[in-house]
Amino acid sequence: MELKKSLAFTPHLEDELRESLKRCSPETVEAALSFRQHGNFDGIPVIVMGIIERFLEPDVRHLLREGNDDTRLFEDLGVDSLLMVEIIILVEETLDISIANDELRDIRSVGDIKIYLDYKVKGIPIPKQNKQLTVEEIASVMPHQDPFLFIRESKISLNEAESLYSITGDEFFIDGHFKNNPVFPASILIEALGQLAVLYLIRNEKPEFEQPIDTSKVMFASCDGVRCHRVCRPGDVLKLKVKLKRIRYPLVTFEGTITVGDEKAVFAEDITLTFDYES
Amino acid sequence: MRKVVVTGLGFVTSIGNDKATVIDSLCHMKHGIEIFPPFKKDDIPVKLAAPIKGFNTESMDSEDWTYPIQYKLRLDTLRGLSPHGLYAYCAMVQAIQDAGLSEDEISNPKTGLFTASSGSVFMTYNHLNRMFKVGVLRASPQGIISSIVGTLNFNLVAAFKIKGASSGFASACSSSGHALGYAYDEISLGRHDRMFVVGGEDGNFLSIMPFAGMRVLTLSSDPDRASRPFDKNRNGFVGTGGAVVMILEEESIARKRNAEIYAEFTGWGQASDGYHVALSHPEGNGLIQSMERALGSVKLGPKSIDYINAHAPSTLAGDLSEMRALKKVFNKNNSKPAISSTKALTGHALSLASIMEASFSVLAIKENFMPGSAHIETLDPEAKGLNIIKKTLDKTPKHAMSNSSGFGGSNVSLIFSDPEH
Repeated sequence: MELKKSLAFTPHLEDELRESLKRCSPETVEAALSFRQHGNFDGIPVIVMGIIERFLEPDVRHLLREGNDDTRLFEDLGVDSLLMVEIIILVEETLDISIANDELRDIRSVGDIKIYLDYKVKGIPIPKQNKQLTVEEIASVMPHQDPFLFIRESKISLNEAESLYSITGDEFFIDGHFKNNPVFPASILIEALGQLAVLYLIRNEKPEFEQPIDTSKVMFASCDGVRCHRVCRPGDVLKLKVKLKRIRYPLVTFEGTITVGDEKAVFAEDITLTFDYES
Repeated sequence: MRKVVVTGLGFVTSIGNDKATVIDSLCHMKHGIEIFPPFKKDDIPVKLAAPIKGFNTESMDSEDWTYPIQYKLRLDTLRGLSPHGLYAYCAMVQAIQDAGLSEDEISNPKTGLFTASSGSVFMTYNHLNRMFKVGVLRASPQGIISSIVGTLNFNLVAAFKIKGASSGFASACSSSGHALGYAYDEISLGRHDRMFVVGGEDGNFLSIMPFAGMRVLTLSSDPDRASRPFDKNRNGFVGTGGAVVMILEEESIARKRNAEIYAEFTGWGQASDGYHVALSHPEGNGLIQSMERALGSVKLGPKSIDYINAHAPSTLAGDLSEMRALKKVFNKNNSKPAISSTKALTGHALSLASIMEASFSVLAIKENFMPGSAHIETLDPEAKGLNIIKKTLDKTPKHAMSNSSGFGGSNVSLIFSDPEH
């Protein structure tokens, strides 16, 4: 996608643009005109979201307006691959750009679109989304090792990481926690989220991290707003997720959740690590 | 063999967009033909068409279309439709309501859908124009599915969640007769319990005007006399479009759910002329064969047929060969079925024609009338010996035959009967 200021935006082109955006909101049309006439990039999110909204069924439009990053394009908004192409064509026409098919392969949610646009406007290459890591790969990069590694197959996206861990009952501490009543310790649940945050930190492709992270310098700093909702026991499969909240060198903060099946098990408002770059 | 009955009908036609209006038009011989605004140009000598009223599908952007408010279409349904796709969707809604089918009965592995349309030249033309203008990668992703032959099945199967067979039939003006015939076979052979059969045509400038080059469209500018099958001075057909849906069910299943039964679909026949790409055989050889096969399939002699809805499009050659064929089949044994061509009222609906006229025959059986053949001033001498009825009769046909003939000399004859015959 090449963003450029159109040199000759004639009244005729303006009429064409208004006609092709006739079912979009007035803000969308104004933002599009401002972009085409003055090269004003600030309105791009308004333009793109306005174009998407115009193609949605009226009964799901509010979901897009609410702007929840987790809203899924196909499952929640009904944007199938053909409709996606229609949206892209109108975005291309409106912004006078071309978008390559492979740039869009990983776009699945409203959040993905926002990220994509953000990077496009700044002219930064789009990071690769949804990196899958096997247990072996994880073991080879993590400072933690068995018997104190509590994450398994993981997926790293631009702003979050997910992992699974099955409680076997063979963990060395289970026998003592508690006597005749095996419960996976809450402190270890937080430890598992912390480990997933570490994995994210050393394997993400977010351009804000300027250099490679020195794994030996990543340490736990603080944890806030932790709530446990459910006792976890052998047989449970923990679904762990950390979401990046902010980066303020040398601190990085995540939100963490653990679910078992459909049940919420743990929520941690803030998990903060300290880190440093390889010197 | 399992018996097949008709339990639901839906209409978007030039003579009415619901069953009651269609019956009224047929009984009172009200036509749907008018001076067609898109033809109002000095260099276009064709002036008439029989357009669909109450809809506006002039834009290539389906979101611009207007249609009667009782139909609610989601954007994801509307997006892939051609004009006749919209008509067909509305006719489907009517037919489903008419038959009283539940969602489970509609979306069921034993319920299928056969269609007939020639695709949408209008959509093809506009989408290709756009492709040449803006480049191949910006051509609309809906371009193909709203245009090509098959557009009716793609869209209706998705919109109504059809799970049984789905297919389209293309034999020009006998297409929807083939769709009906093969749907009959699906049920009588036990493969399906229920079939939707749908015919549709855009009926707009681009679907009608290419026939001008074949010199088969009437150049008359008098809507009240233009389409006049069997008249000596007939001089071509009037184009139309729309959609008709007929629901066929296996008899015992229909009776079990207390469905109202219009008629029994008793049998059908087909044959080809093997003669010319466009002209029908001058003696109607293929049509004779198809009528005889239809009669044979229901084991009825020609004498049993009370009413025939003729294909007769009001063209010189087409009407002539059909009159000859009718005489050959029916004049032996001195049988004199009442004959009419309802194209005098509706215009010629091409792929849609056969199912539209079959539906009129079904209505005739259910509502006790035989629609008249309108606009005949001077009966063609060739019709001597045929009982062509110029006015609608208050008589109930026990067995009615509907004929259709398409390009390539493709002929279909369908027989419907009073369910208590």
